[in-house]
Amino acid sequence: MEEKWYAYWLCGLPGIGNRTIKCLLEHFGSPGAVYRASEQALRPLLKPAQLQALLESRRREAAGTGSAARSGVGKEECFQAAYERLQEQGIAFYTVEEACYPGRLKQIPDPPYGIFVKGGLPDEERLSVAVVGARECSEYGRYVALELGKYLGEQGIQVISGMARGIDSISQTAALSAGGASFGILGCGVDVCYPANNRELYEILQQKGGILSAYPPGTLPKAGHFPPRNRIVSGLADALVVIEARLKSGTLITVDMALEQGREVYAVPGRVTDRLSDGCNRLIAQGAGVFLSPEEFVRELAHGGGRAVQSDKTGKENEEQKGEDTDGGEMADREKLLPILQALDFQPRSAEDIYVALKGRYTLQDVTVGLMELCMQKLAVQTGVGYFCRGHSDC
Amino acid sequence: MYCRIISGAVLGVCADMVDVEVDIAPGLPMFNMVGSLRSEVRESRERVCVALKNAGLSIPAAHITVNLSPADLKKEGTAYDLPIAVGILQSMEYFKARAAENMLFLGELGLNGELKRVRGVLPIVREAAVRGVTECIVPAANAAEGAVIPGIRVRGAEHISQVLAYLQARCGDKGRADKILPVTVAEEVCLFDGQPEAGGSVDFAHIKGQERAKRAAEIAASGFHNLLMTGPPGAGKSMIAKCIPGILPPLTLEESLEVTTVASVAGLLSEGQGLIAGRPFQSPHHTVSQTALTGGGTVPRPGVISLAHRGVLFLDELTEFKRSALDSLRQPLEDKQIQVARAGGTVAFPADFMLVGAMNPCPCGYYPDTNKCRCSEPQIKRYLARVSGPILDRMDLCVEMKAVGIEYLQNGEEAEDSRLVRERVMAARNVQKERFAGTGYRFNADIQTGDLESFCALDREGRLCMEKLYKTLDLSARVYHRILKVARTIADLEGEEHIRAGHLLEAASYRPSFF
Repeated sequence: MEEKWYAYWLCGLPGIGNRTIKCLLEHFGSPGAVYRASEQALRPLLKPAQLQALLESRRREAAGTGSAARSGVGKEECFQAAYERLQEQGIAFYTVEEACYPGRLKQIPDPPYGIFVKGGLPDEERLSVAVVGARECSEYGRYVALELGKYLGEQGIQVISGMARGIDSISQTAALSAGGASFGILGCGVDVCYPANNRELYEILQQKGGILSAYPPGTLPKAGHFPPRNRIVSGLADALVVIEARLKSGTLITVDMALEQGREVYAVPGRVTDRLSDGCNRLIAQGAGVFLSPEEFVRELAHGGGRAVQSDKTGKENEEQKGEDTDGGEMADREKLLPILQALDFQPRSAEDIYVALKGRYTLQDVTVGLMELCMQKLAVQTGVGYFCRGHSDC
Repeated sequence: MYCRIISGAVLGVCADMVDVEVDIAPGLPMFNMVGSLRSEVRESRERVCVALKNAGLSIPAAHITVNLSPADLKKEGTAYDLPIAVGILQSMEYFKARAAENMLFLGELGLNGELKRVRGVLPIVREAAVRGVTECIVPAANAAEGAVIPGIRVRGAEHISQVLAYLQARCGDKGRADKILPVTVAEEVCLFDGQPEAGGSVDFAHIKGQERAKRAAEIAASGFHNLLMTGPPGAGKSMIAKCIPGILPPLTLEESLEVTTVASVAGLLSEGQGLIAGRPFQSPHHTVSQTALTGGGTVPRPGVISLAHRGVLFLDELTEFKRSALDSLRQPLEDKQIQVARAGGTVAFPADFMLVGAMNPCPCGYYPDTNKCRCSEPQIKRYLARVSGPILDRMDLCVEMKAVGIEYLQNGEEAEDSRLVRERVMAARNVQKERFAGTGYRFNADIQTGDLESFCALDREGRLCMEKLYKTLDLSARVYHRILKVARTIADLEGEEHIRAGHLLEAASYRPSFF
């Protein structure tokens, strides 16, 4: 137990990252030894700022032990008491030496020394897939993320992501709704819900999956925390799927980390006219796996990522299935609505665009009324004033 | 000698009679004016004295007292110059007292004796007619305005000496008097017949493409619904807004009187202008202050919304307007008038306008084109929050506009012109007139929630359709009611008595659907 207090203390030192901790441990042997080490012994191993932080922290702890421990209250309280409080908050803390530390994470080149967990840890025996993508995704990205999350959840495959706006939260929510497990890795303390609008997802993740972070509770999100967080996302997974990414985006950093870690990277192809698919298309050109459907992807994954040739039936199956989903509406109505439905896309189109595209086969009123009927049948969705796009199964 | 001259004062858009009492008594030379006067009224003394002198009429060295009654009503403006001068002339017996009986005088005097235009002649003349005054003498520049009122003779004078000559001739030879100062005859203004006159500054035929927006504008004009257009810069939102006065039905005589009155009180009628024939169109810049927008000032003057009465108030760049200015619109949008309270009392200005707004869908303007728009969701939400919820709530119709493609600009196809659209709008208006006969309503947009059942009744098919819409689109009660009203207008446009599912669905497509 005692060692863990010191390990917790080490993780909480500002400016002292993973590599430094590793170095210190190699030199002194244990976290407790680091805590008790003399200033002279520490000086050659640390940068001046780091040394300052460490000494400062030790001084505060020394002053705090006793009075703060007794009162149990105070911002800079004794770390032992703080560690005890973790239990109360339902936050677990594992160091890399422990058995329950996630296996896949242990094997990456630079695993975080300690991780904080609220909820559960990923199941070592089951497949894990990391799903990442743009925060401001398009309707196409939203659709793919939803379908993938749902399928993975149904298949019992764990979805790892960052709980960010956009692709992350869409896929995680879909997986959870389909009864699966998902894990969110945060760039802040596990007790901080970032972004704030994802509060619901944050709560459900704790019950049906888990929230992990390398940062101690109370740490606020900062831009610099996200690249390190991304390596944990790919580190926990067997494969990484990139759904949408611009040419220069944070998502591509995650890809780099995944490649370093030897993970399979799949990218979802998109239209060459869509800037949001530029990153993904470029990845495919550079050799990433092509993601064509959740089913094919999982098949390849299960077979160790080999690229077996699949029959063409798969594509058609999906098409027909999508067609089957549209029960509702009499035959005559469907005849009339079909061209309008086919004119819809994942990119929102204005009602007027569709009217023009149908070249006078319908009056503008007919198109408007038809689009609204499709909305009622959930085959279309209105995304904004006058813009419609294809509905997805979960809208 | 004591005499009393009839004049008038403007209160808001109404008027009240003011008696100008003049008394000349022997005594030390003095000229006192009383009766709760603002500074410009007090200055009348100087103007009147010099004007009379320059007209060759001398003022006696006597004790002159002028009282503007009722004495507790704050008098403002310069229109009292003429009645004061006439009162002095009458007291000095330059003409027989009978000549000025039952006659209203208004006008500012220049130092050379010229009569200059003043504000608010129309409402004063109207009030005078109601009170039984038979004649008015007003500045020539204002004569056309006054002539609009039936049942009262209005004469426009250019110089004080002309007025005097007229008054002198009046008691003797009426014919000669008429030649000196003839009665102004109101111009024939075509307000309503087959060929309505003044329209909007832009014709529908000039706008290529934008069928959805044109359709929405037509529906809005028919039911006097408020309209919001979203789209990138340059899409043509202002052009559509400018077209709307051209498709609104012509003003009725009553409406025109109201509109002309407001313009008169604001001092915006041009010289010699009588009734205003075209629908007002006001497009204030987004830096407009709340007072300028709603009206007010030390002496309450009509604001932009009152100048837009019976017409269109177009707010371009809705998100750039000051929050306080937009919020101040909520009450007038409900009540169709604005109350301006002052220490001396409350004044109500009319404000029954059609609100047309234009804004970008996001800070850069290109949403939802993900290739051009780099705005993040929180950015967009913050941007849209600048337009207060209550204002968005009152937009019955929201329509999207996209930048016009080159194929439209070059295909040379003729679009429908405003005249044809106006005919449809007028037909829909007539249906509404019949429907609302005997009630206080004028247009579908006015229908209160409680009366929706009776005016927008749905058959079984319609009710099922609305139920489905309500559930699948997750509507609120407010939006539900707006859809009903818009659907009623759409049905009116198609000449149908019953609201069908198609009308409801089209109406629903215009609901405001932001995040």
